[in-house]
Amino acid sequence: MTAADRSGALARLFLVAGFAISLSAVPASAQKKGGSITMGLELDIPGFDPLKVGVYDTAALTASSALFDTLTYLDTSGKPQPKLALSWSHSEDFKTWTFKLRPGVKFHDGTPFNAEAAKANFDRQKDPANKCRCAFYISNINNVQAPDELTLVYNLNDPSVNYPALVSSYANQNAAVHSPTAWKTKGDDYNRNPVGTGPFVLKSWTAGDRMVLEKNPDYWDKDRIYLDRIILKPLPDAQSRFASLQSGEADIIWDDEADADNIQKAQKDPKLTVHTYAGSGAAVAAFNTKVAPLDDLRVRQALVMALDRKKMSQALTNGLARPATNPYGDGSWVRCKDDGALPEDLEKAKALIKDYGKPVEFKMLVTATPRGRANGQVLQQLWKRAGANMEIEQVDQATIPPRAFMRQFQVTPWRIVDLADPDIQMYSNFRSGSPVALANYSNPELDQLLERARVTPDQEKRNEDYCAISRLINKEAIWYWTFQNTYYAMSSAKVKGLPKMYSGVIDLSRAWLE
Amino acid sequence: MLTFIAQRLLYLVPVLIAVSLLTFLIASLLPGDLAYTILGDQATPEKVAALRHDMGLDQPIWIRYFGWLGGILQGDLGRSFRTGQTVLQAVTERLPISLELMLLAEITALAIGVPLAIICAARSGGPFDRFMTGSAFAMLSVPTFLSAILLIYLFAVELRWLPATGYVPFSEDPAKNLRFMVLPALTLALAEWPGIMRVLRSDMIATLQEDFIALAKAKGLKASRILFVHALKPSSLTLVTITGINIGRLIGGAVIVETVFALPGIGRLLVGAITTRDLIILQGVVLLVGAGFVLINFIVDLLYAMLDPRIRHGHA
Repeated sequence: MTAADRSGALARLFLVAGFAISLSAVPASAQKKGGSITMGLELDIPGFDPLKVGVYDTAALTASSALFDTLTYLDTSGKPQPKLALSWSHSEDFKTWTFKLRPGVKFHDGTPFNAEAAKANFDRQKDPANKCRCAFYISNINNVQAPDELTLVYNLNDPSVNYPALVSSYANQNAAVHSPTAWKTKGDDYNRNPVGTGPFVLKSWTAGDRMVLEKNPDYWDKDRIYLDRIILKPLPDAQSRFASLQSGEADIIWDDEADADNIQKAQKDPKLTVHTYAGSGAAVAAFNTKVAPLDDLRVRQALVMALDRKKMSQALTNGLARPATNPYGDGSWVRCKDDGALPEDLEKAKALIKDYGKPVEFKMLVTATPRGRANGQVLQQLWKRAGANMEIEQVDQATIPPRAFMRQFQVTPWRIVDLADPDIQMYSNFRSGSPVALANYSNPELDQLLERARVTPDQEKRNEDYCAISRLINKEAIWYWTFQNTYYAMSSAKVKGLPKMYSGVIDLSRAWLE
Repeated sequence: MLTFIAQRLLYLVPVLIAVSLLTFLIASLLPGDLAYTILGDQATPEKVAALRHDMGLDQPIWIRYFGWLGGILQGDLGRSFRTGQTVLQAVTERLPISLELMLLAEITALAIGVPLAIICAARSGGPFDRFMTGSAFAMLSVPTFLSAILLIYLFAVELRWLPATGYVPFSEDPAKNLRFMVLPALTLALAEWPGIMRVLRSDMIATLQEDFIALAKAKGLKASRILFVHALKPSSLTLVTITGINIGRLIGGAVIVETVFALPGIGRLLVGAITTRDLIILQGVVLLVGAGFVLINFIVDLLYAMLDPRIRHGHA
């Protein structure tokens, strides 16, 4: 190392250190206490009882992140940090995870939070008699034990090396911890009268109009809660939702890429802030490899090569949508030097189709919505240029999963959602024989890689395995990826302290107003 | 008069049965299956079959219809599978908002349409008449969702006079409530007044040619008195019908307007029930709205009879 190199390295070190200090110093002085924030949601929230609603949608998740606590939360680098759990440890085989819980925490109704209460939440959802749709998402958990007041043990069916990041890092239907007393005493009414341990308490809720949440004065972390009140309003129409932000009726609103015009307008407006989170995962589609003509590798590769994602993004979202070349995306910790993506090459695609020799005609399932149709039409045009005829089959959104599970499709859209770890979705989407292995494709090499990646604690080695998996899938062209997941919120510029929108959840509980 | 009312009430029974049957059929024949919606990404064939059995969806359609009808006759319209709310609860919570909206819209539409119609009729063929008839035609072709967005943009975003979206209950703060209601009511009224104006204008022109108007003129009565007192009542028969039928159109318009302005009324409830396949709520609300519409037209019939006694005696 020469002297110049050394001084350069030192300078970099100081730069980094200085940057780190300024990062932590600024927010501490800027955070202001008090005030009320109004958020415009896309949907009416149906309720919070997992047995009733099954799955929380994005609107419910904003409320549940304020009402409920989870065992862990994800920091800005995606690592799990303590919330209701203080620390955790695992068994050798990563099938048993033990969490030490935070003492002295109480639910809003005064019921103490402890291992028994957390276990009761799990048991209620898992109980086959309750037939909860939410049970699906905890099917990997065999049972939960509460050996003492503050120890919670998860016994898993399959190993999970990154479990604390997955178990309950955001307040979804399974992770939000409800007060057992509340659901027992309120019965049917519990759905709309949720009780958690979270930083905010439900004050009032008018169906279809507004939900008022007030700061929990007894919260265990109350010094880091700044707002006095959060008001959530469903504003279903995208145009008037944006107008409400402009006119000040709402301080922050939910949005997505379909509303690209307004997002781009807000990006130019100095009074507004556009919050984006480049999540992991992608919008994807699966080919049914058992049905002609998609049983032929040349055809599948040609269809993937014919995808001009830039043009698609331009046509569908004014260029906002970020093209995807692998199932993980930039938001994932999986980073590949080579993900094996096929080139976007129309000429090659034409040649492959020509080589196949027979006419390439197939149907694709498309959701019967304006957005679904637009997607289908763009694909239709792109594939037509390569010499393939795709017929759009419009179906109701809810019929896509059953058609996919019964393999009654040739091409079906699907989604890989933003999760802290790729294992769950990669394993179920590509392991031979899994109900969601939609491509009907089986490859021992792929299975072996998937099995190994889920039990490898060394993240670098896992990374390598997942890249190998991506290369294999891309080469075989059994699924294709169109766009990465990007999540949006728009707010007035005075809204600060919004955390990363993991899984698209807009968590207002630790925000403040400037 | 009483026999007339009784007779009309009797007619209502088959109409309401038809409404219930149609409602049920439409809801049942919607594409997509409730079981698929509830199960979402876990809709495996076995789970779907089990859930359909639990919910009785595997029974023949007529058994399900009579089961539902039987419940209604006992005052039980069912319960939402999503929120656990009963239909009656959901409707009573939201109905006042839609009623207020429709009432305000209808009053606004009449306040715009009636005076304009009278002025146009008084000078029919004149430049103002031709201008207004043209504008009415133009307004009729502007879709509600467009005028809603334009009004929001003008009054809420640019001028900042009125709120863009939201709602405050009348009981909580009447003044605020009205502020929130102005734009939605105006949006609906903009689509309604042209119809009112055109109908009243042509009836009025016909009335103004009748002998008793000439007599009134000859007696030297003031023009405004002739127009508003002598000519308006006999000309308003079609107007009453239009107003009654308008209620149906307003319910349709409310679906859009309530969604755009985020008013928690019946229209929003309906849209939500459709998008989430909440069939119980959907059937219940459509039935209640349908029954309400039938009842309003029944009242219109009665008003008719009051305005023109010939109808009461069956030789109109």
